[in-house]
Order: sequence, then structure tokens, then C-alpha cells
Amino acid sequence: MTSLVHCERVEKTYGSGAAATIALRPTDCEIAPGARIAITGPSGSGKSTLLHLLAGLDDPTAGIVSWPAIGPRAALRPGPLAMVFQGPSLLPALSVIENVALPRQLAGVGAANALGEARDALARLSLSELAEKLPEEISGGQAQRVAVARVLASKPVLILADEPTSQLDSENASRTIDVLFQAADAAGAALVISTHDHAIAARFPTRWSVADGILDTTDLTS
Amino acid sequence: MRLSASWVTGLVAHRRSRLVGAAAGVAVAVALLSTIGSFLSGSTAAMTERAISHVPLDWQVEGKAGTSPSALLAAVRAFPSVKAALPVGYGSAAGYTASANGAASSAGPGVVLGIPENYRATYPDEFTQLIGARSGVLITQQLAANLAVTVGDRVAIQRTGLPDVSVQIDGVIDLPAADALFQTVGAPPGAKQPPPPDNVLLLPLARWTQVFGPLAAARPDLVRTQIHATTDHSALPRDPTSAYIRAGGLGRNLEVQLQGTGVVGNNLAHALAKARSDSLYARVVFLFLGLPGAILAGIVTAMVAAAGAERRRREQALLRTRGATTRTLVGLASAETALVALSGGIVGLAGAFGIGRLAFGTTGFGATTRDAVLWSGGAFVIGLLIAAAAIALPAWRDARLLTIAEARRSAARRRSPLWSRLGLDLLALAGSGLILYWTGSNGYKLVLAVEGSTQVSVDYYAFLAPILLWIGVGLLAWRLGDLMLRRGQGVLARLLRPISGGLAGTVASTMTRQRARLAAALTLVALTVAFAVSTAAFNSTYQQQAEVDARLSKGADVVVTESPGVRIGPAGGAAFARIPGVTSVEPLQHRFAYIGADLQDLYGVNPATIVRNARLQDSFFTGGTAKQLFATLAARQDAILVSREAVIDYQLKPGDPINLRLVDGRTKQTIPVRFTYAGVALKFPSAPSDSFFVANASYIAKTTGSDAVGTFLIQTGSTAPDQVAKRVAAEVGTGALVSDITSKRRKIAGSLTSVELAGLTRVELGFALLLVAAATGLLLWLGLAERRRTFAIAHALGARPRQLGSFIWSETAFVTAGGLVLGAGASAALSYMLVKVLTGVFDPPPTALAVPWLYLAEVAAVAVVTVAIAGFAALRSTRKPAVEVLRDL
Repeated sequence: MTSLVHCERVEKTYGSGAAATIALRPTDCEIAPGARIAITGPSGSGKSTLLHLLAGLDDPTAGIVSWPAIGPRAALRPGPLAMVFQGPSLLPALSVIENVALPRQLAGVGAANALGEARDALARLSLSELAEKLPEEISGGQAQRVAVARVLASKPVLILADEPTSQLDSENASRTIDVLFQAADAAGAALVISTHDHAIAARFPTRWSVADGILDTTDLTS
Repeated sequence: MRLSASWVTGLVAHRRSRLVGAAAGVAVAVALLSTIGSFLSGSTAAMTERAISHVPLDWQVEGKAGTSPSALLAAVRAFPSVKAALPVGYGSAAGYTASANGAASSAGPGVVLGIPENYRATYPDEFTQLIGARSGVLITQQLAANLAVTVGDRVAIQRTGLPDVSVQIDGVIDLPAADALFQTVGAPPGAKQPPPPDNVLLLPLARWTQVFGPLAAARPDLVRTQIHATTDHSALPRDPTSAYIRAGGLGRNLEVQLQGTGVVGNNLAHALAKARSDSLYARVVFLFLGLPGAILAGIVTAMVAAAGAERRRREQALLRTRGATTRTLVGLASAETALVALSGGIVGLAGAFGIGRLAFGTTGFGATTRDAVLWSGGAFVIGLLIAAAAIALPAWRDARLLTIAEARRSAARRRSPLWSRLGLDLLALAGSGLILYWTGSNGYKLVLAVEGSTQVSVDYYAFLAPILLWIGVGLLAWRLGDLMLRRGQGVLARLLRPISGGLAGTVASTMTRQRARLAAALTLVALTVAFAVSTAAFNSTYQQQAEVDARLSKGADVVVTESPGVRIGPAGGAAFARIPGVTSVEPLQHRFAYIGADLQDLYGVNPATIVRNARLQDSFFTGGTAKQLFATLAARQDAILVSREAVIDYQLKPGDPINLRLVDGRTKQTIPVRFTYAGVALKFPSAPSDSFFVANASYIAKTTGSDAVGTFLIQTGSTAPDQVAKRVAAEVGTGALVSDITSKRRKIAGSLTSVELAGLTRVELGFALLLVAAATGLLLWLGLAERRRTFAIAHALGARPRQLGSFIWSETAFVTAGGLVLGAGASAALSYMLVKVLTGVFDPPPTALAVPWLYLAEVAAVAVVTVAIAGFAALRSTRKPAVEVLRDL
């Protein structure tokens, strides 16, 4: 089966010279379609850097990241690859439903259809009552679930979630992970999240770890 | 302290654009205030100097009957502030005769002056040397023309009851200050002075004494002596009002010392009275034109600071969750305020000095060091207050009033402000209109400075009209912008479709939710455009009226005035029409007519051509346009236009007959000629300001048996008038006087108000462009920079640069186009009001506003270019990898 993401000797360094900070040391990895992977590690270990590289949002200092089952980096978004961010990522000037519809509209879907798909996505995640609210009018947990609905609406094959629960209490964190699984199942997409919460990581069949920029893809569950 | 320092360091490192933007706003306000203030201070002082420099002779002291001239001279010389005093004899000549080149000629009554030897050296500006010797017997140009004599010819002075005295002409001169020289000394201030005599001859004082001594003995009423004195100007204050009070007081003091034996014609105080009035108008103009600019600069700063308010509020909220007290928060905001005020203030003052040096060649604009320091210091303090009002005050208010949760929320769904619900904008506009109407009923007399009185008054109540208009148009612009965004989302989406394509609806939604920010930006653009354009329109209208004034006084680009006694018919103009550069020649009959016992000027015109060829303005007439009134003249042969004074004096109604007595060309006797009153002429080229008639030339020629033309009005089109004047002078020789409009233009441009206004508008128009740039480009860029996170998220979601651009350009188009459209409307209203309320500055009052098209294009170009730069800069910043931006934020 063609993998979704293929990393080969990928590394990332911020800054240069004496001020250089190595965020990720040479890493190889592979993400298969339908995978459920949790990447664990302490804060500052390099989890977010890895996810940003996998999402094509950042350029590696060395090595190659490719997306064999999807295509070139320009084809990743909007569509096949969707991302959930650590902090608030809803556009403050758009209502919840407009936020959810935005990636579809950016993909060229007409406004009416995009809003219809957004409404379906919100309904699947039981967030319909938030549709007309503004991001500032909903809680942090709700905002993160809406961000997941936005991912769902964009019909991805790969969902990357960067510490999606780090700013939430345990109850909200658990509900967010529930909807992430729900969204990934509904879309038939692979799901990769980074977290330092072992309880959340425990819910994933595959667990990788990062420490001091070194990725260990030995499945912790095995 | 330590916390403040690290906070400020953090701001410099991470919030540089916010700091630079706010500091730039403060810098503009400080520079504008400092520049205008120093300029006003310097120019007001310069007004005194300029007014004094135009006075060739400070005092003319005339003795009462029986006063010994030598005793009067001694008393004047003994007066402390007098620097020089010389006696001048005034003798009345019954007439003059001459015989040159075998032809006899004569001239009517006149005045023969007796001047001491050193008079010309003491009062050089009293004379313009034309030809011949500078001393001896000097004849004025007009008398020389009337007698057709020149240097070397002999002229006989006719003395009442005594034999004629013959003198030989040594030189020909002109007397540029004849009005003052022949004034009625002791006339009450503001009283109408008689015109100076046409026929003036100057004799050395000793010779004059020989000629007029006998006349003084026989007819003392025909001979008098004045003492002409100059005073020490160094003691005069720089301020025109104080200088006027001081100069007037000194003159009266001398009169007291003379104990009733003499009266003082105080030319110095008269000139300063005009300067005093001009300086008051300068202050009024400063308040009308300068103050809105300074306030706008303050608002721009506040808006620039407010562009970062949302983030500042969030930062505050974060600090409060970490336990920061209100005091701590205000302390941090104060540190930011101090940094912005200090850097903006220093840059602003440096800018003001630079502008002074570049535009005026002096850093202090002519103000004293003390005044310049005071204005600079004051401007700096105001900059500090603006920064405090824009940064520290909102921070303090938020810290006190908002809960943490509220602080985290934006203003997207807040209800309309109270003023909007109360309709304050409409009330302000209505109030402005009412006050304008009320001021208009008083003739827009803003400044009252009566000569002779030390008291002056400025009608500050009239200022309410423009103040309310500014407030009204500002709030109305906000209301309209807000309304469009709130209620017109569908329309907006359709309008944005060419820019945003399929995202138009989403873009319109984001704009609706940011309507507070966008409506405020649109309002500021509208106001800055209105400020720039109304200032430019006022300036253009002033320049337009200065040109009208020059044309009114002169009559045309080139004027040929035939010497008295020369008889040329209208066909004589054909020779001028052939001269290169001449585009039109209009013959104008100039006669004198008696109405009752009054002798008034009568102008005979060709009604078919005079409006076009003399470029007559509608404002010169009442009861119809210039074209309509001259059509009336063309339709009825005996129709006549009269001055408003005559209408009042003789209680005339349209259709009333008017019997004038004119000189018959054949018999040289006056004959009655019947005219019919057809309308009022307030002004007419080359006519005196108060009393004159305008009638059909053909009717006058028919009734008087003479079609002699007094004047030819020549227009030159694009050719320089002075060049054409030279060609015309070569054509006419000595048979007529040729003058052109150039010197008149120069004189008007050198007038106090003109110099004042030119300087002020030069500063204002430059700053207005800067404010337009700041209001459009800077604000937009900051607004977009503050939303980098939004764009970064959109980028991370897959938005292409073109799609991100649709958000940026839609906002840009709305703010710029809306601001320009509303600004144009506001400009029209403000320009109209400025010109109406400041009518006193214009001479003559304008018929219509002059539209400064070039400057309008510059304003639009600056707005579009700065907005485009801001938009491209914002777009460029979105190309930064989204993760890097997200990490930065």
C-alpha cells in the first residue's frame, strides 16, 4: 500500500551558528493510510516541528518529506491533508459554520454547497447549535471541536493534530479526542496527533516518542 | 520599573510595527503643530515688519491756522521717538499752462509741493524717478502728460489772485504714495479721503516759499505746511495689535504735547491697523485651517494605537490571569506611552525643523527663539497627551472596567454607539447649518478691528458652524460606513465579487464583523481627504479671487489709457488687435457725469463684447448674472447700471429714469442725458469702489456727439502681459499710458494676508497629504499586520496568495473608495462653509469655489498608492511560512 507520508533523513535546525537550535535530528518515518498514531514526548522535544514538517507547513533543513499517496506539497491543502492546531485556530471574524466551510470554499466549492457540508460536519460532531456563533462566543473546548469539524468537512485522507488538547481540561480533552477519532473514521483518514498526555496516547494503537529531537518510531505498544 | 523596562524591550523586539505606527502618528501631530505654531508666531511678527516697511512716511503733522511752521517743526523734532522731521509746503495752484513744441496746453487745478533739499534722501519711497534730474523742479507723470511737456520745457503755475509763475522742468517723477501724501490730516479714522490731485508739481522749498509766500499772505486757506516725520521703530512690539496701540498712542501723545496747535496724520498707525486686522484674520485662518489638521493628526495617532488595542487587550487579559494588578497594567501602558511619545516627539520636532529649513529657509519660521521653543515644547506636550489618550487611557479604562473574559472578546457584536442611537451626527449637521445661516445674516463679520479703537473682537461663535460640520460629517461617515457593512452585506458581496470571486460572501462576512474598525478607518480617510481638499479649495479660491482682484483693479492684462485731451474712437483699437500676443481689444469709454451735485465716473461699453473681453464675474453684479444684465443693456439703448450706493442714495427702482449731465463733445458744455435704471453693478474693472455708472457706449456717443474712448482693455491669452505691454507701448508712443496686470498681481501676492495664507497652506497641504497617507496606508497596514495570525491560519488551511489577497484588497477597496467618496462630499460641504465663513479674507468675495483639480488628483494618487503599498506589504507578509508566523504570535 502506498504510504501517505514518507520521511527520509529529515532534520530541522532553527537559527544558525552559535545560536542554532536543533529541533529534530535525522529521522525516517512512514505513515500508512488509515493509521492511528500518537507521538508523545515532553514539551520542546520536537513533536510540533515534526508535525509541521509532515504537514508541509515548514521546510526541513535536510532530508526529504514526500506524500506518495497524495502528490506534491501544493496538492496537500485544502483537501487531502488537514491540520488541527494547538491554540485557537478559528478565524475570529467568521461564524462557526463559516469557519468550517472555509477550507471547502478555498478548494473552490460554491458557498451554498460548502455551507451545507459544514452543517453536516457540525451535525456529525453534535455541534449544530454552535453554527451561528462567533469564535469569541464559545469555549476553548468547543472551539477545538469546531476545528475538528472543519477538518472533517474538508474530507482529508490524513489528519494531523498538534497537541489538540493541551489547553483543555481532561473532560474537554477526552471529548476532543473522541470527535477526532469520529472524524477520522468518518473520513476514512489516517490520524496522527502529538501529545504529552499519556492517557490520550494510550487510546492510539500506534505510539511514537520524541526526545531531544530524536524520533523513536518503535511502536511503544509492542 | 524593571518590569516596565523588560516590557518595553519586548515591545521593541516583537511589536515594532505597532510602536513605529503610533510614534509616526505622534510625530505628524507634533510636527504639524510645531510648524504651524512657529509659522503663525513668526508671520504675525513679520506682519508688523512688513506693514512698517510699506510706510514711506510715518507722520504728517499739520499745524492749525496761525501756527508757526518753524515752531511746529521744533516741537516735532523735540518729541522723543522722532528720528527725523522736515517741513513740506502745500500750495494750491489754480491751474497750469505750458507751451511746448509751439503748441499751448493747459491743465486744471492742482497742488505744488515745496520740499527741502534732503527730503528725497530721508523719504526715498515717496518718489519714483522717471526721467531727468532728481532735484529741482519736478513734475508728476500725470501733469506732464496733461500738459504734454517734458524735461527742459517751461510750465506756468497759476496762482489765485496773483500773476502766474513760470518754472523750467528738471525731472519727471511719480508719487506712489500720493494717497497718504495728500490725505486730509485730522480726518476721523475710517473717514473717506478725497482722491489725490492729478496735477502735482514739486519745487525746492526755498523756491516754493518765494512762489507761495505771497499767496499765503493773501489767501492763507490755499497754502499750508506739514511736518513730515519718521519715528524710531525699534521700540514697537512685534505683535501687530500691540504695535498699533503703541504707534497710535505715540501720535496722540505728540498731539497732546502740541497743545492743540497741530494734528497728526498717523500713517504708521494706519498701516498697523490693517496689519492688526490681518493678524486677527491670520489667527482665525489658523484656527479654521490648522486646528482641524492637528486634531486629525491626533485622531490618526489614536487610530494607529487602536489598531493594536485588540492585541493589547488580550495581552492585558493574559497578564491579569497571571495576577497583574490594575496599577501594573497602567504602568506598563504608561511605559509604552512614554516610548511612543518620546520617539514620536523627537522625530516630529526634527521634521518641523527640517520642513522649516526646506520650505522657508529657517528652522524657526521667523519666530523668536522664545516663541519657537514655546511652540515646540507645547507641540511636544500635546504629542505626549495624544499618546496618553491613545494608549494609556484605553489601557487604564480596560483594566478598570472589563472582566478578563470581556477583555478577550472583540467588538464584533457590540451594539451601535450612543451618539449613533441619539442621531448626534444629524443634530450636529443641522446645528452647523443653522449657525451658518445666522452668521450669514450678520455678513460673516468674524473680525472687528475699527481703526482708532484699541479694542478688537473676534466672533468665536461663528466657529461653531465648522466645528459642528466637522463633527457631523465625521460621525455621519462612520454611520454610513457602519450601515453599509451591517445592513448591506448582500450588496457588499456583489460589489466585492470582481475582487474576491467565490469568496465574496465570506469576505463580506468578515468585513461585517470588523465593521467598527473598517467604519472608523473609512471615516478617517474621509476626514483627512476632506481636510486636504477643503484646504486646497480654500487656497485655490483665494488665488482665484486674487486674480479677480487684480483684473478688477486693472481691468485687463494690458490697459491703454489715453492722455486727457486725446480723442481716439473705438476703431483705434484695431491697431492693438494686430499686435502679436493680443487676443482681444475692448474699447471702454470713460467719462464723468453729474448726478445732482455729485460727479461720478461713467463707463460706456459695448454690451455684446464687454462680459467676455473684460472677463466680468457674476459677483460684480446683483439682480442677475453679468450676461443677463448686459443683455438688458443691449436690449435697451438708454439702460444704465448704477452702483449700490446710488440706488440707496437716490432710492432707485428698476425702470426709474435717471438724468445725468454729461459734457457735450461739440460744445464742451454739460447737457442733460436721460437714462433708465436697469440694474446694480457692485464692481467694474478700473472703476472706483463706491460710485460709478455703466451704460451703452453707442448711446453716450450719440447723445454727447463724441465716441472718444478713454481706455482700451487688452487681453493677452497665454502671452506674458508685460511683453505685450511693451509692444503696445511702442505702438502708442507718448500719447497714452500703458500698464499691465503683472505689477498688480505682484502687489496683491505681497499683501499681508496673501503671504500669510500662502505660507500656511504650503505647510498644510503637505501635511494633509501626509495625513491622507497615514490614514490610508499606515492604518491599513497596521490593521492587516495585527491580523497576521488570521492570515497565517487561512494559509495553513490552504488559502492561495490570490485568495488571501481577496480579503486584503476587498477591505482596501472599501476603505479607500468609500473614504474618497464620502471625503469628496465632506470636502464640498467644508469648502463651501470655509469660504462662506471666511468671506472677510476674500477680496472680492467669490462667486464660486475654485476646484484644485491637480491637488485632488494628488490626494487620490497618494491614497491609492499608499493603500496599494500597504496591501502589497500585507500580502507579502502572508508568504512567510505559516508556522513561522504562528510561532511568532
